[in-house]
Amino acid sequence: MALDTVMRLQKHDVASILANQTGEEKDQMTTRASSSRKGGANRGAAIDTSDAIPLRYGDDPYVWACWLYYEDGMTQGEIADAMGVSRATVNSYLAEAREKGIVQISLEPARLASLTIAQELKRHFGLTDCLVVPSDDNTRPLIDRLGVAAAQALPKLLKSGDTLAVAWGRTVLSVGEHTDIASLQDMTVVQATGGTTATFSYTPELCAAAIAQSVSARCVNITAPAIVKSSAMREMLLDEPLLQEQFETLGRANRVLFGISSLRPNSTIHASGFFESVSLQHYLAAGAIGVVAGRFIDERGRPVAGPLDDRTIGISLDMLRRIDTRILVAGGFDKVPALLAALRGGYANVLITDAATGHGILRADGVTSLDGRLSQKPKVTQTPSSYRTHVKKFLNNPNQVVEEMLDGVVRAHAGYLQPINGSNRALVARNGPRSGKVGLVIGGGTGHEPCFLGYVGKGLADAVAVGNIFSSPPPDPIVQCAAAASGGEGVLFVYGNYAGDVMNFEMAAEIAEEKGIKVRTVLTTDDIASSPVEDREGRRGVAGNFFIFKIAGAACDRGLPLEACEAVTRKANLRTYTVGVALEPCSMPQTRRHNFEIGPDDMEIGMGIHGEPGVTRERIKSADEITDSIMDNIFKEMKAVSGDRVAVLINSFGGTPMMELYLLFRRVAQRLDAKNIGIEANWIGHYCTSLDMVGASISILHLDQELTELLHHPCETAFLRIS
Amino acid sequence: MSENAVRRLIAMFEAISAAVETEKDHLSELDGAIGDADHGTTMSLGFLAVKAELAKIDVDRAQPADVMATAAGAFLNAVGASTGPLYATAFRRAAQALAGANDLDLGTTAAMIDAIGSGIRERGKGQRGDKTMLDAWLPAADAAGAALTDNKASTEFWSEVVAAAEAGANATRSMVAAKGRAARVRERSLGHVDPGAASAVVVLRAMASVLS
Repeated sequence: MALDTVMRLQKHDVASILANQTGEEKDQMTTRASSSRKGGANRGAAIDTSDAIPLRYGDDPYVWACWLYYEDGMTQGEIADAMGVSRATVNSYLAEAREKGIVQISLEPARLASLTIAQELKRHFGLTDCLVVPSDDNTRPLIDRLGVAAAQALPKLLKSGDTLAVAWGRTVLSVGEHTDIASLQDMTVVQATGGTTATFSYTPELCAAAIAQSVSARCVNITAPAIVKSSAMREMLLDEPLLQEQFETLGRANRVLFGISSLRPNSTIHASGFFESVSLQHYLAAGAIGVVAGRFIDERGRPVAGPLDDRTIGISLDMLRRIDTRILVAGGFDKVPALLAALRGGYANVLITDAATGHGILRADGVTSLDGRLSQKPKVTQTPSSYRTHVKKFLNNPNQVVEEMLDGVVRAHAGYLQPINGSNRALVARNGPRSGKVGLVIGGGTGHEPCFLGYVGKGLADAVAVGNIFSSPPPDPIVQCAAAASGGEGVLFVYGNYAGDVMNFEMAAEIAEEKGIKVRTVLTTDDIASSPVEDREGRRGVAGNFFIFKIAGAACDRGLPLEACEAVTRKANLRTYTVGVALEPCSMPQTRRHNFEIGPDDMEIGMGIHGEPGVTRERIKSADEITDSIMDNIFKEMKAVSGDRVAVLINSFGGTPMMELYLLFRRVAQRLDAKNIGIEANWIGHYCTSLDMVGASISILHLDQELTELLHHPCETAFLRIS
Repeated sequence: MSENAVRRLIAMFEAISAAVETEKDHLSELDGAIGDADHGTTMSLGFLAVKAELAKIDVDRAQPADVMATAAGAFLNAVGASTGPLYATAFRRAAQALAGANDLDLGTTAAMIDAIGSGIRERGKGQRGDKTMLDAWLPAADAAGAALTDNKASTEFWSEVVAAAEAGANATRSMVAAKGRAARVRERSLGHVDPGAASAVVVLRAMASVLS
């Protein structure tokens, strides 16, 4: 049950109780230090009770009554007998115990959050009802959980004799799969739109059939396509007696069940392939943000006119809005704007969603009052005077920090690299570029040192373009690098997959091509926490850069042609897996403040190398547990078998010392050992940092023969030398 | 005629730069909520560089397209990051739209705004609803096209363009970011106005102040 009663007793009560109980009981106790019960104790003593209060209740009849009632599960009558008082007295003890805070009834936080969000959604949008399922249960996909939730709600929403219109989509199909109501009679389910191609599993026909079966209803299909070629064809079809009969049934619907589609690239509308992309672009340009039963709406829920309107056969938005009970089942962040639009437009009066989505809808509509109520932690209202707001750093002029660092770098590593045309924003390897060799150009923002400039030198990168802190270099230095690295056989660009870097390197590639330099590009995407495996191309590039650069540099140095260099670099990228964990944020030199916050007991999984927030935030765990969860994720994707070999990189984000990195490496090695996967080579230290962030990442390169040879190929750079 | 148009475009960039300076901290603050808090600084750097580069232009010989091309190059080399390529491409497309034009009539102006929007869309490979600067620029371009069709006078033309951009920027509050760094924080971007859309409004208001 969601209701969870906790008795909160004073310390001395608890101490005496603990003496008499088992360990299991102890775990259920929650103590609350307070002196407020003093008066209560006096009053308790003043009440005439049986003289046999057991010692452990500390002479307090309230505690005794509560214990018998809540813990021993006795009835008030039984308690009255046991205590030798009247039943009315027991009743008043129990009531007063709640007032005094001896007993506190609390709801499980996740349930409480769901209820609070549901209540607020109902109030804010004037809904008839709202069901919000907790978001903390990630054991099943959201679509399944929504289906289960709707299945629980439907018996309360449907009545015998109802006509239920059913739209189509993945969520609606899930509702049908999870619902089983035997008690309803004389039900009619009617398909809300025409039919679609059957290239996917959630067609209008199948959705209606699944719901009809689950509520034992007669099923009426709309036996025409959802979208026809012309408005003339639509008129002709709607003139058919059969279709008129079907539409009459649809017009009688007193309930409707529907989902919602966003217009995002991965939405049902796109994935079903049913809508013409030309038309979709039209609706997007006209401000469409979501699709309800095949009809497009804008952010305020207003219908968006477009070329499909008079070619669509199905329920209209006006018909939909006239139905009594309009049940919308949907969840997921992508759908928040569309859901908000549907609620604003009044298309739904019953909403079934999950807590995270519900909270998102409210926030998107500017409701912030909820945030305080959902937070379980007490708010810190005062900042102690000793509280630090700035991080100490070695600085001269914060705005010159990149230039000053580069001046130092060029002086320190003059043996490996030198400025191109006098600018430290484009550096070339001293003995790197040569005629007949493919040039390797890398680059990115600063703040990641020794990435990227530490890997410039013979046998590795030929040139590096240097941007501002966490910010891509502009095309000009990249073009200079390309020209300096070019040996007539083309140039390979390798850099992390970030929007800014992609645009600047793409522009640079266009300019270099105009200058007659052939350019190929490999984006690094090794951060497996940043997107699911289906979206591997959307992942970002992090510390695994180290391996990918090394392989690319070796391939170029061996004189392989451009296409071969590109191919093996792509392979290295596909076989490199990184997960990072941040414990403390980093601070920018210009502000000397943290650029985000991580709670005192939290860690952020999936941290990228730009200090941007990670993917999930969890309670901090032991080094081995953290390593295990990282390695579990890596093993899920890396298809390594017993006898395979890997290279391992344990990388500090800047603030984590070597001591802790070795702890991580120890556990990584144990996990690899257990699978009989050999470590061909390993690196432990600062290889791709994020200023002073505390945290680390683990990168594994799954080797094959070719990659092993290239990994051992000699190179001479400031931070990696292999001979 | 040509001299007049060139001077007006230069004045337009000066007004944009001044407006961005005023709004700089506010823009960075907006960015701090969902990105890396540097958008105000980035925009300021870019338009200061544009202003400095335009000061070197020979206003008697230059064409309007030259002003745009110069702005594109200056903005790009000063900024990098993602704003650099986006606005640089926008101004380059605008230069193409202005090629051969000697006068900044409303037709040319509408074509320029449209070129800016489509330049940003091509470079960023984005669309409306992604919670980016496109959510301000594309409605602005549409409004400019519509105002032109309706033969609106200059003042009305610009007030409709700016209103469309403002409405578009406000709408980003309820969007989930699909592009750029804000896309990584997913639902945490909800409830925040996109800083790129907000700065697009600042730019368009400044353009209106000089050109209307």
